[in-house]
Order: sequence, then structure tokens, then C-alpha cells
Amino acid sequence: MARERVEQQPAAATGMTLVVMVGLGVAFLLFMAFLNVVKSGNLLNETNLLYATLIFYFGAATLYLGFGITGTPNYIRFASLATWAGLLANTGAVAHRWYDAGHPPFASIYEMLLSFVWTLAVLTLIAEKKFKVKVIGTVTMPVAIVGVVLMQLLRTEVHPLVPALQSTWLHVHVTLAMLAYAACALSFALAMMFLIQDKMKTETFLAATSIFTITTYVATLTRFEKWGGLSVAAWNPEEKSEIFIAKGVRLFVVIPDLGWLLLLVLAAVAAPLVFYVLWRKTGNDAHIDMANRAVFLSILLQTLALVFFIARARDGHYFSLDADGQFPTSLAASPFILSGLVGGIFVSLLYLLLLWRRADLERMLPSADELDRIIYKTIAIAFPLLTLMIAAGAYWANRTWGSYWSWDPKETWAAITWLVYAGYLHMRITRGWRGRRAAYFAILGFAVVMFTFFGVTYLLPGLHAYA
Amino acid sequence: MATSLPRKIWQTLGAIKTGVILLILTVILSAAGTLILQRPATDPDEIQRAYSPQMLRLLDGLGLTDVFHAWWFVLLLSLVSLSIIAASVQRFPNAWRFFARPYKSPDENFRKALPTHTLIPVKEEEAALSIAERVLHKKGFHPERIVRENSFSLFGERNRISEMAVYIVHASLLLIFLGGIIDAEFGWRAFLSLTRGEQSSEVQAQNGPKRYLPFAVRCDGAGQENYADGTPKRWWSNLTVLKDGREILHKQIVVNDPLVYGGVRFYQASYGKTGKVDKLVLTATSRQSLDPKDITLGLNETAALDPDTTVRLAEFFPDYVVGDGHVYARSNDLENPAAHLVVESKKSGQAINYWLPAIPGVEQNASSTYEFQGKDVQMAYFTGLEVSHEPGQWGVWAGVVLMGLGLVVVFYLVHSRIWVVPVRDASGQTQLWIGGTANKNKDAFEQRFSDVVKQIESELKLSQPEVPQASVAALTEK
Repeated sequence: MARERVEQQPAAATGMTLVVMVGLGVAFLLFMAFLNVVKSGNLLNETNLLYATLIFYFGAATLYLGFGITGTPNYIRFASLATWAGLLANTGAVAHRWYDAGHPPFASIYEMLLSFVWTLAVLTLIAEKKFKVKVIGTVTMPVAIVGVVLMQLLRTEVHPLVPALQSTWLHVHVTLAMLAYAACALSFALAMMFLIQDKMKTETFLAATSIFTITTYVATLTRFEKWGGLSVAAWNPEEKSEIFIAKGVRLFVVIPDLGWLLLLVLAAVAAPLVFYVLWRKTGNDAHIDMANRAVFLSILLQTLALVFFIARARDGHYFSLDADGQFPTSLAASPFILSGLVGGIFVSLLYLLLLWRRADLERMLPSADELDRIIYKTIAIAFPLLTLMIAAGAYWANRTWGSYWSWDPKETWAAITWLVYAGYLHMRITRGWRGRRAAYFAILGFAVVMFTFFGVTYLLPGLHAYA
Repeated sequence: MATSLPRKIWQTLGAIKTGVILLILTVILSAAGTLILQRPATDPDEIQRAYSPQMLRLLDGLGLTDVFHAWWFVLLLSLVSLSIIAASVQRFPNAWRFFARPYKSPDENFRKALPTHTLIPVKEEEAALSIAERVLHKKGFHPERIVRENSFSLFGERNRISEMAVYIVHASLLLIFLGGIIDAEFGWRAFLSLTRGEQSSEVQAQNGPKRYLPFAVRCDGAGQENYADGTPKRWWSNLTVLKDGREILHKQIVVNDPLVYGGVRFYQASYGKTGKVDKLVLTATSRQSLDPKDITLGLNETAALDPDTTVRLAEFFPDYVVGDGHVYARSNDLENPAAHLVVESKKSGQAINYWLPAIPGVEQNASSTYEFQGKDVQMAYFTGLEVSHEPGQWGVWAGVVLMGLGLVVVFYLVHSRIWVVPVRDASGQTQLWIGGTANKNKDAFEQRFSDVVKQIESELKLSQPEVPQASVAALTEK
């Protein structure tokens, strides 16, 4: 068994190798960055600070993952250190942005991500130091990295606030939203850990992973696939914005062949589910082995799809169905596809982590009962915050548009989020729901939060066009 | 005993299962209302484009293109409210009994059944009780001595309000719903567009006739400020409220700061060009004296040029085109302006159409005794005001505040109780029975309870040093 092998190795030695490697990597990247900075002459601008943030978070994530896999306590110390350093740079970037823009960084999706990543890092350190949930960084730091990478692709100019956004109530509203959503994210991560501690079968996680990735790819394909290619919004690199042919109508271009590739990957991510179903039918463990190998293969294919997508979306001009000529596109024009692809890989990797290191994870995590209580506590924090967030938003809307509730999609989905968590609280308090059912509810709640945050912004029309 | 139908319905409404089913229905239908294009928020053309005619007919028929105003959605929300009321009313009496008449003298059965309790041997009952009382007081439990016919006990508690918190939250939700219903029934939204100097007491309701206000609003000026890159930074309007011809209130409103008067709110909603001229400055030169003279005209205003001659601004086009011998406005932008002046002579009674610039076919410029040149033009801007009357909003805000408080109590205030009863064990030794319970967060309470017990023990030890440590029988089950 792999686990025995790890335990035979002297812990301190393995600990130091990775720490030294990550340290050297971080130092190398910082040095390279510094050479560039010296050329441009401006050390502490937002781009550099964000780059430093990215490097440190990357180091932290590697060490947290190392800890997640081997359980070497040494990693955690250095991972925290890297997180602290990243947080410092991140704080600098936030402050810089705030100073430049003259308003708190909540006005665009870029600024929201900046604040979100900051909040996430702070919460990670709190969860680690105060609640002793040490592996939390294994989940949150990769998310933070995805956030910082996404930020590099989104528009970054400081936009002056349009009159409707110049309100203290807006800042109250958005701050509360960030805090509430971060608490929801924490309850989701804890719910996942609960399921591990609650002895949910690894095979069930396999099926869930497969279903998640299948859903992602089916959603991407049904929405963007066109004649074997991917239909994505055209991008004007000078203006850093999508190209519109009429008010609210985007110009789409087709990147050829990628549709077929995604279809292939869909088959690959569906394979584990097929083997899982076979295993359920026959009980033959060979099928599960096949399924696990299929997950491994699907990760390779997913990575390939991501690389191709990034390479082709960043480079080249493509034909459009709506206008003559060829137009460029950009990753920033299709954040959905990008986050879908990255999310799929991330979830599959987490499954592999669970598959290989389940025993270590179970040893390191708090007990199921403890986790159940912490989940309830985080939701007890999230729910009042959600309530106040909605109230502050309503008050702001009333001062701006003369109506506190207009059933706009974002409002409606915020209300739905609120109702889901209200449902959780009722079932828990009056029906005594504990454990697994409560954990499912926490997972559902976070799924709705994610849809409210991203889905509504990109999929549904409405007044919340700013963010 | 057979239950009557109304009673059965009442019971069903109050059941948690009904509540959850209603919640799920609300969630599903609200979600549908965001996924399907909604008539009030979308362009009619866009809906036509998005759905096939049959599909659209079906959606319209089911009310799915305006979910949030459909009768069945209103019905659903009413059922949710009824369910909350029923559930609260059914559970309230019990909770109220618990709240209003706290259990202060624990009997023997209760003492045995309570999971968190302990026994401390004491020498002197009275002294020990005083110590316990002091410790409870210090820990914020506000103890009282309960003397009954055949029992004596100390009772202390914290945050009894916590037992009522759920009802506070439910009541606040009903208050919010009530505010919403009042607004849906009696509230209205309208639009008012004013140019500088204009006043009005009638507003155009959003879906319906004009509405007359018991007062008038005058616009004393409006404007826009831009950022350096040309995007708008601020819109403002100076408004005056007039009642019976008297000025009552002045206020400059900006986008996030409305004018409120008599329950009606005026919001800065839009600002734009009317296409009308506000002030046109002309240089008039008499053909005889060649003496230039500046005059300023508004639309339909007349100015005297000399004792005999007057000029009137009859028409103004910010962006004109000529077709079929007529002059038309092409846009409201000041691109290609034309002014139509009428020069009149009292003596001859002659009226001459003077066009600036000279437009062949309509102009009679040559017959005028004066020549005109444009010097400056200021266009009139309108300020668009969203007007709303929401008499129920105070219910909503009161509900929101109450809910915030209620939630804090629900989640963070724990009703904890501690009883202290002097008892005798089999050998006749006096002991203090100390027990406690909390309605939530039991781990934290057990910690607090053991702190209280330890404190009492240590103070007892100070006052009665001869009680041996070994005989202290602390017992905390579970």
C-alpha cells in the first residue's frame, strides 16, 4: 500500500524536500518577476502585487496539497507562512486598487474577485488557527489561485462609479454579501469533510465527481457547441470588452474543432460513471479499478482540453456567423467555459486525493460530530449575514430606484438562497436533522450561492449588470 | 373524537411538512420566473424572438411570463404566510407557558432526569446557599430564592427571551409581507419629466392614468457632471415643493438621495435633451443703422428691436432636414440647428418669416429690415423623476430590523438555567444539588456549568476548610 511506503520514509526528510523545492520555486519566480520590474521601474503597482500574491498562494497551495497527501506537519507551518505572505501582497493589491479607484473594490467582477480571494485567504488562516481544520487550505488555496488567474484575464482598468453605485449602502450590501458567501463556502467545504468522516463510500464520491464533471461538460457543450467548434463571444483587445453588434447583442465567433475535443472529454469523464454503475450491478471490484483508471485518464484529457482552449482562445482570429471577417476572442470573453474546465480538473484531482489518502484525511480531520456542529455554526453566521445583505440591498434599491423589491433575477436568487438555508435551519431545529441530510443541505445551499454569484450574472438579464 | 374539516385544514397548515412543501414550491416557481423571460422586464420583441408563438401562448396562458404577479404566485405567498401564522399560533401557547411561568422548583423526578447535574457536600446549608447565590449572581444568572411549602431552591437563568426568538423572527417576516401587501394594494409608481422652471402636480402612472398630487413640484435646475473620460458622474435636480402657491421645501436630489414629501418620493431617474431650445442669443443688425444689438429669446418669446419692430422665436430645430418644402427635426442633438424667427412691424402689420440659416423656399429673409446672426444657443434639458408612493415600506423596514434582532437572539442568545437545591443523602449529610440546562449550544453550556460548580466548590473550601476533598462527589453524566 502506498500509505505504508509514506510512513516508512523519515517524515522530516520528505517534509524538507518539498518545502525547499517550493521555497526555491517561489524565490525563482519572484527573482524573474523582479528582473522585469527593474526594467519597468515600478515596484509596487497592482499587477506586481497580484503577481506576488499568485506566486505565494501557489506555493501555499502546493504545500497544503503536500500536507493533504502526506500529513507532514512541517508543510502546514510553511504553507501558513506562504499564505501570510500572499495575504500581505493581496492586501497591498486591494489597498492599491482602493486608493486608485477612490472607492472600495466592489464595483466590477474583477474587483469582487480581488476582495473574494482576500476574504478566502483570511478565512483559511482563521479556520486553520482557530478551528484547527488544517487541511482547509488544500481546498481553499487552489480556489484562490483560480480567482487570481481569472483576475489576470478580466478587465482591470479603474472604472469610475456610475451614479447608481455611489452609495454607502452599496458597500454595506457587498461587504455583507462577501462575508455571507465566504461563510457559505466554508460550510460547503466542511460538509464535504463531514461526508468523508461520516464514512461515505469513496465510490459514492467517484460517482458524484463523475456526475459533476459530466454536468459541466454537457452544460458547456449544449450552450457553446456549434458545428464541432465552440461558439464564444468575440473580444476587442484594445477596448478590453466584448464586441456588440447591437445593444445587448454580442458578436460570436466559432473556434473550430474544440467541440469535438470536448465531446471526447465528455466521454472520458462519463466512463467512470459507467464503470460505477456496472460495479453496482455486478459487485465486481475490477470495475471500480477501471473507473479509477478512467478518472486518471479523464484528468489528462481534461487538462489537454484546457490547454487547447487556452491556446486557441488567446491566439488567432475566427469566423463569425453574424458578421463578415475574422475576429479575435479572449479567455475573458468566456469565463464560463474556463471556470468549467478548471473546476472539472480540480474536482477530479480532489477525488484522487481522497482515493489515495483517505486514511490520512480521516486521521487529520475533526470527528463527524464535531464537523456537524461546526457546519451548523458557520450557517448560523451565514444566515443572519444573508438576511442583512438582502435587507441592505433592498434599502439601497429603494433609495436608488424607488422600489425595495422588484423581482430582478439576482434578488430572486438571493431570496432562494435565503429560503434554502431557512429550510436547513427548520429541518435541523424542529426535525432534529443531523449529519448526512444536513450536510447535503449545506452542499445544496452553496450550489445555489454559486449560481446566484456567477450564474445569474452571466446567464440571466437584470439590474445587477454591474457585478 | 372526529376532527372537523376546518380544524384539520388548520392543523395541516401548521405542520412543518406543509411549510417545507410550500417553501420548495416557492423556490421552484421563483426560479422559473428568473429563467423564463418576464413581460414586465423585457422588450416585447425580445420575447417574440425567444419563444415560438405556440410556446408563448402557452406561457402567457399559464402566467409564466409574469410569474411574480400571477394569481397563483400571490396565492402561494398567502399560503406561506398562513402556514407561518398557523405554525406559530399552534406552537405559541406552549412556548409562552414555558416563557411566562418558568419552572423554578425542581422536584425529585426532574432532578434525577436532568443530564447535567452534580452534588456537593456542605457543612452549613445557609452559608453554602449564600455562596452559591453569590457565584450565580457573579456569573450573570440573577438567582432568586424560591420557597415553597415543602421545598426550597435557588433558581437562576439567563436570556429567557431566547425561547421567544423564533416567534420574533416569524412575526417580523409577517410584518415584511404585510408591508409588501400594503404597497401592492395602495402603493404606486409614476414618472414625471420636468424642464427648468417647469412645475407640475400630475404624474404619469406606470401602467395607468395620470395621478394628481395635492402639491406641485417645480424644477429649478438640473444637470449632469462627467468624469474625465466622459462617463456620467452625477445627475442632480433642484426641486421645490409648492402647496397652494407657497414654497414649502427645497432640495437638491441626486441619484441615491430622493426628495420625500407627503409620503411621495421623487428619485432622480434620468436626464436628457428635450430637443427644445432654452435660450437663443442673436445679434440683430438693422439694415439702416448697421448698429448690432444682442437679444436673447426663448421659444415663443418676443423681443422689441425698435419701437416699431418685434422679433419672435417661432420654431427651433436642433438638427434639421428639409423635405417637400418643409423643415423637420432629425434628432434632438444640437448638430445642425435652424431657427425660425418672425419679424413683425406694427405699422405695416407685416410678418416676415426669417430663417437662420436661410432655407430656400421657406425663408423671406430679404424682406426683413433686420439681419440676424446666431451667437449662442442653450438647449433645454429635462430631468426624469421616478415618483413612488410606498405606504407599506415602514412595515418592511420595521420587519427587517426586528428580524435582524430576532436572528441574533435565535442564534447567539442561549437560554440557560441553573437550579440549586439543598438535599440530604442517605447518611443525613447535607448536599447541594446543582443542575442546569440550556436550549442550545449544549457543549458551551456544560463548560459554563462546570465553571460555576468549580467556583462554588472553591469558595466553599475557603469557608469550610474541614470538608475533605475526597468526599466531593461530582457527577456529570453524558
